[in-house]
Amino acid sequence: MQSMNTNDVDYEHDRALARDFLVNFADIHGEAKYMNLLQDVANRKTRALQIELEDLFNYKDSDDEFVRKVTENTKRYIAIFGEAIDELMPEPTEPFLDDDHDILMTQRSQEGNENADGSDPSQRMPAEIKRFYEVYIQASSKDRPFTIREVKASYIGQLVRISGIVTRCSDVKPLMQVAVYTCEDCGFEIYQEVTARIFMPLFECPSRRCKTNNTKGNLILQLRASKFMKFQEAKIQELAEHVPKGHIPRSMTVHLRGELTRKVAPGDVVELSGIFLPIPYVGFRAMRAGLVADTYLEAMSVTHFKRKYEEYELRSEEEEHIGRLSEDGDIYNKLAQSLAPEIFGHEDVKKALLLLLVGAPHRKLKDGMQIRGDVHICLMGDPGVAKSQLLKHIINVAPRGVYTTGRGSSGVGLTAAVQKDPVTNEMVLEGGALVLADMGICAIDEFDKMEESDRTAIHEVMEQQTVSIAKAGITTSLNARTAVLAAANPAWGRYDLRRTPAENINLPPALLSRFDLLWLILDKADMDIDLELARHVVYVHQNKESPALGFTPLEPSVLRAYIASARKVCPSVPRELEEYIASAYSSIRQEEARSDTPHSYTTIRTLLSILRLSAALARLRFSSTVAQSDVDEALRLMQMSKFSLYSDDRQKSGLDAISDIYSILRDEAARTNRMDISYAHALNWISRKGYSEAQLKECLEEYAALNVWQIHPNSFDIRFIDA
Amino acid sequence: MVGLPYDCLANPLGAVRLTFEKAVSSGLNPSSSDGSDWGALDLFNQFLFGDDGLLSVKYLQPNTLVRFRGMIQDMLGNEFYVGAYKDGSNWRTNKYSDISQCEVELSPDMRLWERRLLYCVPVPGLNSWAEPSESLSNQQKTMASHQREKRPRDGDEVADHMEMESNEDCQDSPITKKMKEEGHPSSSSMQHDIVNDKTALSFQPPNSEMNSFPCLVKVYDSPESDLKLNEIFEFIGVLSHDSEIAVNKDESDMLSNSFYEDNLVQLPPSKVPRIHCLVHKKLVVGDFVDRSPMTNPNPSLIRGIRDGLLSHLTAVLGNDGVAAQYLLLHLLSKVHARVDGVAVGKLSLNFTNFNKEAASVFGTPLTLTMKDLLPFTQHMPLTIEYLNSTTLAPKKDYQANKLVSGALQLAEGSHLTIDETQLQAGTLNSTGVENARSLKHLIEFQQVEYDFQYYKMEMASDVQLLVLSEGKSNILPADLVLPFQPSSTGSSNVVDEAMIQPWRWFLATQRSLSHSISPEMQKVVEEDLVAARQADRSLGSQDFSRLLTMSRLMSLSFGETSLSMEHWQMVKELERLRKERLR
Repeated sequence: MQSMNTNDVDYEHDRALARDFLVNFADIHGEAKYMNLLQDVANRKTRALQIELEDLFNYKDSDDEFVRKVTENTKRYIAIFGEAIDELMPEPTEPFLDDDHDILMTQRSQEGNENADGSDPSQRMPAEIKRFYEVYIQASSKDRPFTIREVKASYIGQLVRISGIVTRCSDVKPLMQVAVYTCEDCGFEIYQEVTARIFMPLFECPSRRCKTNNTKGNLILQLRASKFMKFQEAKIQELAEHVPKGHIPRSMTVHLRGELTRKVAPGDVVELSGIFLPIPYVGFRAMRAGLVADTYLEAMSVTHFKRKYEEYELRSEEEEHIGRLSEDGDIYNKLAQSLAPEIFGHEDVKKALLLLLVGAPHRKLKDGMQIRGDVHICLMGDPGVAKSQLLKHIINVAPRGVYTTGRGSSGVGLTAAVQKDPVTNEMVLEGGALVLADMGICAIDEFDKMEESDRTAIHEVMEQQTVSIAKAGITTSLNARTAVLAAANPAWGRYDLRRTPAENINLPPALLSRFDLLWLILDKADMDIDLELARHVVYVHQNKESPALGFTPLEPSVLRAYIASARKVCPSVPRELEEYIASAYSSIRQEEARSDTPHSYTTIRTLLSILRLSAALARLRFSSTVAQSDVDEALRLMQMSKFSLYSDDRQKSGLDAISDIYSILRDEAARTNRMDISYAHALNWISRKGYSEAQLKECLEEYAALNVWQIHPNSFDIRFIDA
Repeated sequence: MVGLPYDCLANPLGAVRLTFEKAVSSGLNPSSSDGSDWGALDLFNQFLFGDDGLLSVKYLQPNTLVRFRGMIQDMLGNEFYVGAYKDGSNWRTNKYSDISQCEVELSPDMRLWERRLLYCVPVPGLNSWAEPSESLSNQQKTMASHQREKRPRDGDEVADHMEMESNEDCQDSPITKKMKEEGHPSSSSMQHDIVNDKTALSFQPPNSEMNSFPCLVKVYDSPESDLKLNEIFEFIGVLSHDSEIAVNKDESDMLSNSFYEDNLVQLPPSKVPRIHCLVHKKLVVGDFVDRSPMTNPNPSLIRGIRDGLLSHLTAVLGNDGVAAQYLLLHLLSKVHARVDGVAVGKLSLNFTNFNKEAASVFGTPLTLTMKDLLPFTQHMPLTIEYLNSTTLAPKKDYQANKLVSGALQLAEGSHLTIDETQLQAGTLNSTGVENARSLKHLIEFQQVEYDFQYYKMEMASDVQLLVLSEGKSNILPADLVLPFQPSSTGSSNVVDEAMIQPWRWFLATQRSLSHSISPEMQKVVEEDLVAARQADRSLGSQDFSRLLTMSRLMSLSFGETSLSMEHWQMVKELERLRKERLR
């Protein structure tokens, strides 16, 4: 046990350290950060003095021991810093109006000289009453914040950082810090410092004069002279994702004082740093307190937690992991496979969904026009092809995602509604799913069964990315910068192959054209798929787990981190690619013009879609420029999406698959004026036209036998033999 | 263990303190300890399960060792308590108690340790036959003292104990009287109880019949993952009852405006006793049935039980054999795995054609049969008013800091009959819509969304759901829809207890047997499934899953752990009969 004496010395030493730190700490710009802050305090510009633990850590002269002591006995060190600040407080450099408090203080200091009754402790003015600042020590934001569950008894008295959701908030009330009394007999001011929530008021004057005269002077509490502090209590609760399965979320009481009050409201997701303390009991409860202690968190800082990609902060090991992943050439496939790994197949759909998660950068033109970067995708298909599962999975991966159905149960619907607040009777604007998903992803299931009013509004959301409302005297426009992922059933429940796709799709073309990609997932009668399904179900029943996937899918957290860092990249289209994209676009247009039954409405929107998808692909490679391969892949995806809708047309065309592939390759070679084509390129081209790899191989063999080209035995690269 | 200075049963705290002092004297430093066990548990384990722990105490009184069975309904978080403190120069401990031996003074030598608070309620829907003993007074139903030795790791020990617990002495034990008195406020605690009555109202246990009481269990040392919400446990621990704390409330009134209303104010010890848990054991359905007659089950015996049960069910269902077969499979079902959000093993059943007349004839006998056969059953008559007024899913009440239970907060392995026959056309309000949604979610995913106001949390559940409706229920899309076709009015034959015992045992234990499919059988099954899908495109993975679940249950009902061709054929035949009826 240390004696009191050595403790004092220790604190004296630490006060010098604190003082030294405040004076000498220089931030990255070389400014004396804390002295500047003190000047602001002296000039009454600010009240809160936030000392960041990280600064203390980085400070050249501080040792780890000091930082450790501050973390583990924070309450004491706040007082030490307070004392150090009192010593350092500079004179104000700017004039400000004296308020009542200052006048009182001047009077007191004058009086203090007169009746310097010496060492009477109850008459000595507490330092607290003179202070017009509040000291906060802010925990380091480097590590992951604790969940409430993790804060154990051993953390009592320490500075901790936790995250949670605010469930209750009290009103802001004044809390007495220093009670000031005047004595009826001797006329002295008596001070009483209050540290707890409850205090026993003084009734007898403790001053020396009254004591010696034995007058038992009557004390009168002076409310105006006393010092109060704003005080608010809140309850926070664990976030749903931090609660282990089969448990109830824990909660914790938080005390917010002074400048930290009125910062939170119920429902806010916050990150708090604060001191974990037991509640000092008084009176009868103190007897019981011998056995149980309530605890609370004395807040030191409040940060609102925003779950957006933009604010996603990577931990160092995540950064490394992502670095490694991005080196991997096959990351595009790997990421796509890791989306809903339990859903079998649908590689291209998953790729498209990956691009939806990544998105393209928003563009704001000089004339104020905005071009959206969000990729909209519509999945259409027979019931029971796991559309909803895909949607839900995407929402899980996205940091901010809202899942809803076209017929959402709430009256607010998809866009926004003006509602009457039941308590205040005021009209309030309530955002619907699309507004809530601002800067995120909105998955809308049963898109075809949407309310008529929402359907008109969704046009605006999908292109302008706002929701305008003019109801009940409220005219406003809310941001809805969201990527829409829709799932819809065909018009007659199941896809009717005898009818045209346009008839099957029960959505107006104006709406359809806003989707970058439209995918039809059909439940085809296929023996292999059926067997796969049967095997899967049997396996699940036998082994109580999903069958191994043949690859290890990336964890959703890794996926999220990768996408978040990919979204920070802002790729541009290099000049030399412009021509390529333009020609690709015009060829699609011409193809459409040639056909007598155009399937699609290729408009300028299509061109924008190509650019968006390409940019998203470039983001995945962490590249600042779009490469030709990105554009090719974007075109391929668009083509595949079209073929998913019109696959049957292929068979109608006179050419058989093999000769068609040959003509495609021949044309491409002629266009690029080259005699050799790499296998990967060939595969890319033919798959854009909707042919499979097996068909390509067949074609390669057949024509090689005819001596039209030579095939490289290992790489399968093609070399045309000049005729 | 010779010459124990303390009696573990009558004075468990003495034993705790003794071991603590011993541990301190042999080098344990409480100032660095986090309160984990120092050897007291060994002592109690030795005492409870060891060879010479003959328990001879007759009264259930404070600070003795008691046993409590209940379902964890709410978790009240952690409580920090002064675990160790210095009395003069001696270290003392407060572990396993609410009051301290001697006055604790605030000093730097005080050590705060933590324990977890669990709010436990009697198992919802527990049928009277599954309760420990009929002869006990109401209040003693779930709490009874030990009075027989236990053998270590004896699988049957709990069941054995249940019978042995006819402890008549308990009825006039002091605490019983005391509790009763406080239930009807006497002069001293009158004011206190009135104040608390309001809060107590919001704290109804899921089963509102107040014949047994909830209990606040304080758990030490065990890992968090051991005890989960809605699981049934048997706790053995120290009953703590301190009337002094209960009576005094003025101090907390002063703070009534703040958030410091600690949990204990909401739960007066007079209504909710506290148990400091020493040992806990998870209970499953099988622990509630009498398994003594089934010491050596052989296949022919099981087949005999199965046939008897099936004919009983057939009789109850008006000679509808197919319905009885399905009902049997349904009663054996259990969620045994969760894969990708699908609850594997669930088999909810929907009897259609249950019109008003059929319901009046067969409804009650069916419900009674369920009650007789299964330890926890619930019956839910679905009406518009019911849907609009009750809360089915549990909801967090932040004012009281409690999880307000709902009808769907059920223990693992419960059976729930939902009677849709009384449902009339009408308008659902938002509560009704929410409730209908909860029911649908439960039947589809075996999950209940608990409403935490700011977010919802999915809690897994394992409830057998039987739906009675006139047409196919759309609110409750069951795995199996079977038109009910009785050929005679239900026989009201009374079956005697001796007959029912083996049936209960059969239903409780067979469901948890392991099961496998041999590779050859697997091939057959796969081929059959593919063929079925080729024939009927509307079949999906759900239908496959249902067939496999049925085949599993069919095998288990014969006491077999591997699927045979015969049983697979039986399942297919059953399904064919059902499809025919649906046509």
